[in-house]
Amino acid sequence: MSETTTVDARGAYCPGPLMELIATLKLVEVGDEIEVLSSDKGSANDIPEWVAKVKHELVGINEKDDHWSIVVKKLK
Amino acid sequence: MSAEPLFIILTSGEHEKIQMAGMIASVAAVSERPVEVFVSMNAMFAFRKDRSDYQGGEFSKLMKEKNAPDAIELFQQGRMLGDLKVYPCSMAMDISGWEESELVEDLFEPPAGLTKFLSDAENGHLVTI
Repeated sequence: MSETTTVDARGAYCPGPLMELIATLKLVEVGDEIEVLSSDKGSANDIPEWVAKVKHELVGINEKDDHWSIVVKKLK
Repeated sequence: MSAEPLFIILTSGEHEKIQMAGMIASVAAVSERPVEVFVSMNAMFAFRKDRSDYQGGEFSKLMKEKNAPDAIELFQQGRMLGDLKVYPCSMAMDISGWEESELVEDLFEPPAGLTKFLSDAENGHLVTI
């Protein structure tokens, strides 16, 4: 059963949200999903780039009122 | 599959440049690119345990106001989460007379000489900041 962990990185600037995502990825199981909340536009662009580069899966990215929700699935 | 290793020689004591070096080193290291950083000259002061504050210009002020990630913590995160090694310059350690124990913890490898670093860097891309 896969689980979703939420990382609230709102208020942090690049590359803070990315680093928080990666630190959390190390702790969860393959197949689990992590939702990163980020108010930093640079990170909303950069996190999907990182996910593609290191070959995890970008499940979705949604712009909310004052932040982005980026969901990443751990593939390895 | 690893990318070409990245080698950074960091000499500037300016907050903005140390921040940029920390960003480059940490993001590259967590993106499956091996990184080695050689810290020397005025940059050394920022890596002392007793550093009061980063010295910089206009953008430094902005980063402090907005609580940008701490430059030294970026290097520490890169080391913890990726393939990042940071060396204090042995010449700088000798001239300053500092002990390794005076530098920030959880970051540095033992001091290295420029000869070793340049030799390692022959197998990758070298930038100086």
